[in-house]
Amino acid sequence: MDIQLSIQNLTKRYKTGDGVTDISLDVRKGELITLLGPSGCGKTTVLRSIGGFLEPDSGEILIENKSVLKTPPEKRPTAMVFQSYNLWPHMTVYDNLAFGLKIRKMKKAEMDFAITEVLKLIRMSGSEKKHPGELSGGQQQRIAVARALLLKPAVLLLDEPFSALDAKLRHEMREELREIQSKTGLTMVFVTHDQEEALSISDRIVVMNHGHIEQIASPQEIYDEPKSLFAAQFIGKMNFLKGVVSADQVIIQNLAFPNPKRLTGEVSIAIRPENVILQDGEETGLSGSVKQIMILGHYAEVSVDVQPFGIIRSFQPRDQVKHLHSGQKVKVNFSKALAFPAV
Amino acid sequence: MSKQSKMGVLGLLLVLPSFLVLFVIVILPVALSFKESLTNDSGGYDLSNYIYLFTDKLMRSNIIFTLTVTIISVGLVLAVSYALAVYMRFNDSAIVRWIQKMYMIPIFIPGVIATYGLIRMLGNRGWAAQFLYQFGVESMPRFIFDMKGIIIANLWFNIPFTTMLLASALTAVPNSIIESAKDVGAGMWRIFFNLILPLTYKTLLVAATFAFMGIIGSFTAPFLLGPNAPQMLGVSMQQIFGVFQDRQLASALAFFTFFLCSIMGYFYIREMTKEERGKAT
Repeated sequence: MDIQLSIQNLTKRYKTGDGVTDISLDVRKGELITLLGPSGCGKTTVLRSIGGFLEPDSGEILIENKSVLKTPPEKRPTAMVFQSYNLWPHMTVYDNLAFGLKIRKMKKAEMDFAITEVLKLIRMSGSEKKHPGELSGGQQQRIAVARALLLKPAVLLLDEPFSALDAKLRHEMREELREIQSKTGLTMVFVTHDQEEALSISDRIVVMNHGHIEQIASPQEIYDEPKSLFAAQFIGKMNFLKGVVSADQVIIQNLAFPNPKRLTGEVSIAIRPENVILQDGEETGLSGSVKQIMILGHYAEVSVDVQPFGIIRSFQPRDQVKHLHSGQKVKVNFSKALAFPAV
Repeated sequence: MSKQSKMGVLGLLLVLPSFLVLFVIVILPVALSFKESLTNDSGGYDLSNYIYLFTDKLMRSNIIFTLTVTIISVGLVLAVSYALAVYMRFNDSAIVRWIQKMYMIPIFIPGVIATYGLIRMLGNRGWAAQFLYQFGVESMPRFIFDMKGIIIANLWFNIPFTTMLLASALTAVPNSIIESAKDVGAGMWRIFFNLILPLTYKTLLVAATFAFMGIIGSFTAPFLLGPNAPQMLGVSMQQIFGVFQDRQLASALAFFTFFLCSIMGYFYIREMTKEERGKAT
């Protein structure tokens, strides 16, 4: 497999103590990888180091097997899409798009053709003569994406590009980006703090926290098998319960689960709401009472008060909650539970 | 009275004070001076004063001298201030912080004092000459009572404010759009000519207008350290009015100076409204 971008032992510390330590990451050609984490986890630091806007303290960055550390941003084979679009306000859309191509000394006819093509790709044909101020946020961001695409970068960097857009537009832009990626086969590094966004567009997700990598895996794997408590907390909804290991089984009151990680002593147990099973009072399980039922479209969220653990949330098919009412006694069981060392 | 016409009267009342002030201290004097300037020696009205202004050898050289000093000074002020402002905007060092603290100082020094200071420094036996003498430089070029002296004084008086204007315009250019330009491969000069200059061009024009108006009508420095002939128009005007007591000719000269400023004003207003229209569409 071709490695397009390789980051090796990247470290960058700011005076404030924030930054990233010992980040290593390989990105394959044509892959869309997402750096995901809460704000201040260092994901943007990694991205800006790749783009050349930050100089790492140590480590190595290779693009197509060539070190780019000594190359200034204007010479790097990367292109970046910024959070605030960063279009040039005094230039028309055409000039914004042509600026980089002119620097590359492209012929006028070729340039016109490329710009027409890319505007077609982002579905904004005919907007060449407009100024950025006359476009909506979503349109501006599309132009910013187009500007980066035109440069045919070896790696396309996207720094929370859709976070300033409203929810509906954000969904559309994600789909479009995915489409563009499949059409162009570009290698992309995408930074976001939105786990839903990361799950929906990525080939692989890099979960970051406090300047280091918690897990690198496919969205599916991250969702099903989060490696750390942090990854489990950060991605998707999760219930957390206290349990204990005894006789190589994870025990929560009267329920027992396998212990594949060979943990000992107290453990934190993470359970996805869709893995919570609600049964009648006679079955085995944790006893609780239904607190609230919320219909969320095709499914319902049922919260159950289970003492001494607190509220457990569960997702149930809508037609199965018809017979439930708040205050009803139920037994709670889990089809799947992940155990982590207790903190 | 209907509500609409009441509002109309209120509007007029609100505008009236400022209009009256403008009328009494600008429009009326200009009109009166214009009338005065058209009066000839025999009390009739003709263009004799203006003809004298453009045919008399000394007056003509005064006008050319004033325009030369003004244009060179404005050019130098803009060049120095812009360089200073750009340097302060894109660097962060001890020197920058030092310049930031110091460059406004000339604004707080009274003009007369600064001018005498310049005479003491650059004069024939001034301390600059004495200092250079220690290093074997025996003759200094002539600064005082010369065009160079006035230009140096103009730099002193105009650089601080111009730099302040340009610095604030440059601060308004966000780092992010410079970053995106670097990202597409633009080098330093391309970023300067394609982004920074066009984005600060309007303020540059404002600064040029202010400097032009200030310098063409300046009096203190040209009076104290300018040559006896040719003179800047301000000094010449004072002489014609105060020494020769030729009020008609002084008025003609004043009106002509006002006319030069209004040409600059015309270009300024034209550029500003063009920008507004561009935004509106």
